[in-house]
Amino acid sequence: MKTVLANKKAIALFVIPGLILYIGLVFVPVIWSFVYSFFDGSPGLNWHFTGLDNYARLFKDARFKDALAVNLKYIAMTMLGQVVLGLLMALIFRFWLKRFKNIIRTLIFFPVVLPTVAVGQLFAKIYEIQPNYGLLNSLLDSMGLTSLVQPWIGQASTALVCLSIMDVWVSMGFYAVIFYGALIDIPEEVLEAGRIDGCGAFQTFRYIILPLLKPVTITCLVFSFAGTVKMFESAMALTGGGPGNATTSLSMYMYSTAFSYNKVGYGSTIAIIIFIICIFGTRIINLFDHQKEE
Amino acid sequence: MKRKVVATLALVSMVASLLVGCGSGGNKDTEEKSAKSDTFKILSVWSEDVDQGKMLNDLCKRYQEQNKDFNYEIELVSSSDLNTKVATLMASNDLPDAFAYVAGQPLSELIENDKVVNISAELEKMGLEDAITDGAKSLLTELSATDDVYDLPLGLNIEGFWYNKAVFEKAGVEAPKTWDEFLSVCDTLKAAGVQPLSAGGSDRWPLTRLVNAYIVRSMGTDAVSNALDGKASFNDEGYVKAAQMFADMTEKGYFGQGVTTVDNTTAGNMVLSGESAMCYNGSWFTQDITADTNPAGEDGIGFFSIPVIDESISAATEIPMNCGNILALSKEKYNETTADWLKYFVENAGNYGITEQGQVKGYKYDAEAEISPINQMVNDAIDNCTKSATWFEAMMNTETSSAALDNVQTLANNEMSAKDYMKSVQEAYDLSK
Repeated sequence: MKTVLANKKAIALFVIPGLILYIGLVFVPVIWSFVYSFFDGSPGLNWHFTGLDNYARLFKDARFKDALAVNLKYIAMTMLGQVVLGLLMALIFRFWLKRFKNIIRTLIFFPVVLPTVAVGQLFAKIYEIQPNYGLLNSLLDSMGLTSLVQPWIGQASTALVCLSIMDVWVSMGFYAVIFYGALIDIPEEVLEAGRIDGCGAFQTFRYIILPLLKPVTITCLVFSFAGTVKMFESAMALTGGGPGNATTSLSMYMYSTAFSYNKVGYGSTIAIIIFIICIFGTRIINLFDHQKEE
Repeated sequence: MKRKVVATLALVSMVASLLVGCGSGGNKDTEEKSAKSDTFKILSVWSEDVDQGKMLNDLCKRYQEQNKDFNYEIELVSSSDLNTKVATLMASNDLPDAFAYVAGQPLSELIENDKVVNISAELEKMGLEDAITDGAKSLLTELSATDDVYDLPLGLNIEGFWYNKAVFEKAGVEAPKTWDEFLSVCDTLKAAGVQPLSAGGSDRWPLTRLVNAYIVRSMGTDAVSNALDGKASFNDEGYVKAAQMFADMTEKGYFGQGVTTVDNTTAGNMVLSGESAMCYNGSWFTQDITADTNPAGEDGIGFFSIPVIDESISAATEIPMNCGNILALSKEKYNETTADWLKYFVENAGNYGITEQGQVKGYKYDAEAEISPINQMVNDAIDNCTKSATWFEAMMNTETSSAALDNVQTLANNEMSAKDYMKSVQEAYDLSK
């Protein structure tokens, strides 16, 4: 085995097929988009070179800025919700639940496998106000909190939060399973040692569990970041980007620019910005890992 | 060793045959094309279970029965992909003989680029200049901003307010004639505990139609095209006033809570079931009214045209009309076969619509058939229409239209002022020019 892996040709043989696929499916399209971002119009129709005009346009485009703000808010809320609640669920699975563990775990994981469109329909019904109150408004109404009855996804002030809650509900189970896997890996002896030294529940969590979970937490953050920066189908299914542009994300704006307005060049420019956000976001999360190690 | 040689030879010959295939592919294609050029190709967005699709299919079939040589082929695309599909086909100079398209700004572009047949001119050659009714002609020419007709409608719809007669009766109100009456009807209904209007705000267009309704009645049917031609600006007082009227109506609670979360089907159903008194919709709504599922019954729903503000600016007989997707003919492919088919189509579409579907399609007809009262009412309204208005986004390009559609939700929530709304439409238009 050692001789095989020491042979550079053998390494190349193993790596090259994957590398070619990666280059073909990821690298080439990115470069392609980058080239497109210097053009205006759509290929085949009014396709001409415009230099940096598309990038200059980004700074003047109010809709782009709105979409960017929506995206960042959504990333912050959803990422926090998914990872924190996922961790909380995992802790409950590990230390709290004595009975029905499997059933509860399955129930919490269940939304992960549901199609987004179905979840969108479900939540649209939950948030409904007209013609009939949905689950949420009926609950508020029956509790006498009629002043809180409102069009949850129909107004800019609450739509994004409601969307975020839906997405947290969907993927919480996924992160709970990852954290749970890491939690059962923590040896009982370590926890017991802590307890003997007089650690309370919070101290055990803060000084023993959390540091041991750090690599998994970072993985989860990266996963969650990658999932939320794309923000598209759930918003499409629940609010369609509305009301107004209150839940229109960068990728939704990119889509309509490229395919509805037939401005593939400008759409590519927005795609490049999403790509840059992805790279920087992941870098920042990883940086947080290294700093602590030093 | 021998095997290797054979294998190599086989491989080489395979690759060679592939290349040869590629090389001669072009020729083969053109040969096939010329042999098959008699096949009349139609790009359609209507499946066979909708009225338009049925009509197109049946008329082609009937034409084929008379002309045995005629072969046709209908390709179906979803209407959301239509623009992209036609753009691609146009870029490769491969537009089918007839294709569904979007009236208004998109078709205007094709006319400017000389891609579609001037149907008025062709019909004149055939002596059929009257085959398309005046109402339809006025609508089509207004949409394409030309003097001639360049497209064939597959149906005509009028738009206006549909109301639940029982709800009106209970509240003691009658269908309003003027805008002031309309507002007072709304107030009376609201005081009686009925939601006066429902609107499909999540679909967005039902809301801009209401803004447009006020624009049409207060500024005339050409107000929107004036703004797009640069003769006026959306920032002008009249447009802002219309947006303000709509914003006031939502603020007064005429649409109930959360109008931007309701889809248009639900809004229509609310009128049918009496949960709201009125909604604005097109005459395609008659399909739901005549359906067995309508709890109010066919006679339980009435229609009134947009209430009048100033008779001298726009009378009640001037109604917003809508032809949905239209059929255009490729200029490049236009030949005798197409001309003959066109002749058959315009001569028979009117009678077909009346006898088979009970609808006026925009073509002259002389057949008589039993038509349900509500369809008859729609047909009469189309016949009596003196001038047609278009919907708000008809002449707008996509950027302007999406600004108008997206922001109308914000306007409906009173999160944006009427002035800012019209400003956003004007800005989107200026930016996209």
